[in-house]
Amino acid sequence: MGWVTTTYIVLFFFGMFFLFIFLFLHYHNRKRLFSSPPVGKYRSVSFLVPAYNEESSISDTINALLNINYPTGKKEIIVINDGSKDGTAEIVRAFARKHGEVILLDKINSGKARSLNEAIKIAKGELIAVVDADSYPARDSLMKMVGHFEDKNVAAVTSRVLVKNKNGWLERFQVLDYSVIAWTRKLLDFVNSVYVTNGPLSIYRRKVVLEVGGFDPHNLTEDIEITWNILSRGYNTRMSYSAIVYTTVPSDFSTWVKQRVRWNLGGLQTVQKYWKSMFRRGEFGYFVIPYVAASFFFAILGFILVIRYFWVRGSYYLLSGYYSLFGYNPFQYLELNLNLTLLMLFALTFFALAIFYYKIGFLNSETGNKSVLKILAYSFFYRSLYVVPLIIAIYKLARKDIRWYTK
Amino acid sequence: MVYKIINNKFRIFVESLLVVLVIFMVGFSIGFYIEFSRTNKIATNYLEHEIEALDLKLQNYYYQTLNSAECDAAIEQNFIFADKIYSDGLLLEKYEEANQITDDLAREKKRYVLLKTELWLNSIVLKEKCNDPFDTIVYFYSGDPSDNLALSKQKVISNVLKEVKENRGNSVVLIPIAGDLGLGAVDVQLRAHDISDLPAILINEDKILYGYHDVEEIEGYLR
Repeated sequence: MGWVTTTYIVLFFFGMFFLFIFLFLHYHNRKRLFSSPPVGKYRSVSFLVPAYNEESSISDTINALLNINYPTGKKEIIVINDGSKDGTAEIVRAFARKHGEVILLDKINSGKARSLNEAIKIAKGELIAVVDADSYPARDSLMKMVGHFEDKNVAAVTSRVLVKNKNGWLERFQVLDYSVIAWTRKLLDFVNSVYVTNGPLSIYRRKVVLEVGGFDPHNLTEDIEITWNILSRGYNTRMSYSAIVYTTVPSDFSTWVKQRVRWNLGGLQTVQKYWKSMFRRGEFGYFVIPYVAASFFFAILGFILVIRYFWVRGSYYLLSGYYSLFGYNPFQYLELNLNLTLLMLFALTFFALAIFYYKIGFLNSETGNKSVLKILAYSFFYRSLYVVPLIIAIYKLARKDIRWYTK
Repeated sequence: MVYKIINNKFRIFVESLLVVLVIFMVGFSIGFYIEFSRTNKIATNYLEHEIEALDLKLQNYYYQTLNSAECDAAIEQNFIFADKIYSDGLLLEKYEEANQITDDLAREKKRYVLLKTELWLNSIVLKEKCNDPFDTIVYFYSGDPSDNLALSKQKVISNVLKEVKENRGNSVVLIPIAGDLGLGAVDVQLRAHDISDLPAILINEDKILYGYHDVEEIEGYLR
């Protein structure tokens, strides 16, 4: 058995292994998917909204936060104006004049993590809720999340992110993407492995955030980094599938790539930082780190195999094209070897399983049932695009070109 | 103990691992079965061809020693045998591409190469005895090409020769032979004809062509 066949088999093995983990997690916990623990104590919550040039969305975000269903006097909204060059500060100031719970923290531009760390210093809440300035939590989202903090070992709770703008093809693919991401994240909750507390809406125990040293300003995905930091200290993180937050997703490919490059870079930075905790501490060391590292590794390996496949197939056609200049007619010799191979067997099993997995995921999300054709388009076309930002991220990491790419 | 393991927090991981292991065991079993069936088919075909080859050889002895007027019958038998070997060779190549676990076909391939060499030698004898009634094209290729480009190049040349054979029908015997399988009988022929590089086309034991040549050019070297 050659190295190519062996590599494919290893990929299929781990691919199926992870798919079955998620399918079994869903099967065993399907009735608990949407449940969230009741709120015992109404803890004070400080919403922190870092904003940089967000004049187009900040009003809606603040309105959404003001409308959140939670006892009066138990929440405050701190908008951190991170040196915006537009009218963000003026808009927030106007809100602050009308609503006592809205506070503007004006500072020079220093990035999201530093903004959050500064705001934590003035926040009075026992819980810190981080909300992106282009995201809009649902009215009942807080009530669906705070109950998790009754468990003293829970240090962070994240929410289900749904797409607000659904016009173009890219946005519609992201609707599917966000659904699957949220569903799998909830499934990871059942094995104490929620490894991302997303930017649009996540709540942290203030005490623990201070204990872990706040948000890491050197990491491009401070939300992933702080989650790993929390998990590495033995705390738990949770995901409330019924707590919904709407967010604005990139509507053009270039912005999408920039966003995903940042996610990938941040993810790689985080794996690099916590690499040594592998196989050391509970689910974090034995599952989260190997799972995320393997996801990156297999994505790259898969990409190499795809390139190799096209090179092997393509070189014949390239050469044929060249020789056609000298009388060779390649169309005369088109033939397909349809003899069943071991890899074909595994590939068919894997793809059937993956389609089933997506089908279950969509059925349990706001998108509802999706046709096999749409699932195929999502998995073969959209998911293939994942490799573009991943390769750029690896290139940038190798060149140590680590910057915030979105704005 | 097992009950405890299954019921602890790693239950999901153990379940998933077991299911995947079962799938892989079943997959490998099916894979082995299919590949062995293919090898068996090729091996069975070979046995039949081996008998046919022996029959052909004996017929040749007979025509050479006893009856020189039987050229047509001998040539016809030679072409029938050549066609069978050629089409089985193509099937073997396809199976070789599809077999990913076992390498039993490699052994079968060597046996086929020897059979083809025998066919070639038989054809040479026939040509001498019957006043050169047909052309022989021996295509020496690499059974283990160094890179993908070399493999693609061989495929192109192989297709061109296939077309020549289709155009010329029973006036050409086409014999593709893997030239680097370490077989003495083949190595001797390569040295005898001074063939230094693969792939190479040997036309009528005289003209050697390296690299790509189109159908017309190759046909130009034939009778």
